Amino acid sequence: MKTYLGIDIGSLTIKFVLIDEKANVLYWTYERTGGRPIEAIQKGMKKLKDWIEKHNPQIEIAGVGTTGSARYLAGVIVGADLIKNEITAHAKGAAFFVPDVRTVIDIGGQDSKIIILENGVAVDFAMNYLCAAGTGSFLDAQAFRLGIPIEKFGELALKSKNPTTIASRCTVFCESDMIHKQQIGHKIEDIVAGLCQGLVRNYLANVAKGKKILPPILFVGGVSENVGMRWAFEKALGQEIIVPKYNKVTGAFGVALLVKENPPQKTKFRGFEISDMDIKCDSFQCKGCPNQCEVIEAKINGKIIARWGDRCGRWSNLKYE
Amino acid sequence: MKITFPYWGNYTVAFELLAKKLNLEVVPPERTTPRTIEKGTKIAPEMYCFPLKVNLGNFLEAIERGADTIVMPTALGGSCRLRYYPFVQEKVLKEDGKEVNFVIFDQSLDIFSKLKKISGANFLKMLGATIFTLKVLNIIEKLEKKAQYLRPREIEKGDTDRILISTFKKLREVEKFSELLKFEKEVLKELNQIRIERKEVPKVGIVGEIYTVTDHAINFEIEKKLGNLGIEVHREMSLLYHLKKKIFFTDFFIQRKVKPYLGSTVGGHGRDAIYEMLKYVKEGFDGVIQLLPAYCMPESSVRPILEKIHQETGIPFLSLSLDEQVAEAGIDTRIEAFVDVVKNYHKNKHRTPNI
Repeated sequence: MKTYLGIDIGSLTIKFVLIDEKANVLYWTYERTGGRPIEAIQKGMKKLKDWIEKHNPQIEIAGVGTTGSARYLAGVIVGADLIKNEITAHAKGAAFFVPDVRTVIDIGGQDSKIIILENGVAVDFAMNYLCAAGTGSFLDAQAFRLGIPIEKFGELALKSKNPTTIASRCTVFCESDMIHKQQIGHKIEDIVAGLCQGLVRNYLANVAKGKKILPPILFVGGVSENVGMRWAFEKALGQEIIVPKYNKVTGAFGVALLVKENPPQKTKFRGFEISDMDIKCDSFQCKGCPNQCEVIEAKINGKIIARWGDRCGRWSNLKYE
Repeated sequence: MKITFPYWGNYTVAFELLAKKLNLEVVPPERTTPRTIEKGTKIAPEMYCFPLKVNLGNFLEAIERGADTIVMPTALGGSCRLRYYPFVQEKVLKEDGKEVNFVIFDQSLDIFSKLKKISGANFLKMLGATIFTLKVLNIIEKLEKKAQYLRPREIEKGDTDRILISTFKKLREVEKFSELLKFEKEVLKELNQIRIERKEVPKVGIVGEIYTVTDHAINFEIEKKLGNLGIEVHREMSLLYHLKKKIFFTDFFIQRKVKPYLGSTVGGHGRDAIYEMLKYVKEGFDGVIQLLPAYCMPESSVRPILEKIHQETGIPFLSLSLDEQVAEAGIDTRIEAFVDVVKNYHKNKHRTPNI
């Protein structure tokens, strides 16, 4: 059976999605990278291999696509046929579930984006810049500080009857305001609900500024799991917020779909053996010109497979195996 | 006396040649690198706009290599903070313990007497040097334009840039006007020999602040990136365009064209960005990118207007604000996604012809 693998490796988490020729999701995982992307890829591949052996040994990987901020690294290691930016991948994935979707809100570990679609293709987008307030990492940090498991964070917000206002221009001010509110005796659920509302306010003012948010609106990415954030978005926009199936892995699903649409003649996939190989990345400073680019080289079992990071192509254009 | 000046993309060669023509001893600035920016940022005021910090980095590196006089242009772009640059930079360098002379290059005519004082050249020689420099600028811009056309069409990727890099190296050695003309002919011939596929490709216009759009060291070589992704780039804004504008009072006509969006100047090249974007829309381009340094007052004032034009006409639009905090990876992601949007727009435009 022919299948297509999509890998989305972001700042905090790694997502694997395996789809068949009819775009059914056969397998998906969502795991934290713990700041070690290479190990996370290897672990994820091992898990996928075990699953395939157990469930359906006939599965053959006919194409691999990578996306997310570590897409080049992941693409080199697994041997990807397609390396795509996360905006196109998310637009593709979201439009599959709701073909007439107009707006996609994607909030991940470190960045938040808004994608405007028309007829199933992205026509406009914006990403947060200068500031990562309101993304997954910050919610994570706050949940940890309050001692609430992140999975329960949203439910707690829904219990609030009287959300308090939290300054949300910047995470630093946001946190000090939260502490201030807790010190003067606000209930914890009111603070959590206020935080969700503040983050949505920040998103609408900084990321979605000026863009027309038309329904249907899809909410994807890790933060879309948080019911508190869903509630806050619905309240702020006065619209229904749809959280599609596989909302946490939309990017990986999207890139798998993109590979499926343009299947390679022969996949560049290196095989599941990479999970047991010794993969290392090294960097050095090129002295070729005043630019002094930091060139990164990836090695599998001591053999250089790729170099990147140079501006002129002196290293990246060399032929590697 | 050893003079230096800020690094400014390919134009640096022209200024270096100008100084040599005037028999000045020159320490040409090195290409801006992340380390240059780091050095400049360290001593510059935080809230100042980005180019000031880059310039300071260039100066510091040139001072290390023996420069003692800095030639700095000001107010050539109209009213923006560029006017204060030399004064702020001089103060900042002094506070850092660097004793340097500043020669401020402004629009008043006494620039000739200033130049005479430092170089000892007579009027005729200066005129000759100016004409020579204008021709060099003309060649540089011609080559840049040519490259914008060739990059998305070349069959062997990277051919154009390989030729350009060696060309600009050779241009530094040219001394006489006649050599210059011969050089131009040869380079154009060489570029014309690049094997290309004649095809229609999506076109994107670049608008924005003059320094950020023309200095490839600051804008992460955006033209090259777009070109390699199969996009033909157009850019109206350039040094010669700016000089021509000053001579022919083009601002008057531009103001009439942008009247529905903006009633007066906002300084710098704010009006031009609107004018150019409207022009690109009219000419059926597939996208517009605005480049601006962070804290750039004129460009951030017109950004909402450009966003409005984008919403009215549907032309894809991306605004990139550059400063020392910006990571190249983030810019790459935005550019790649934008190119996908542009290609979709281009495809759909051809499916439904405009009636």
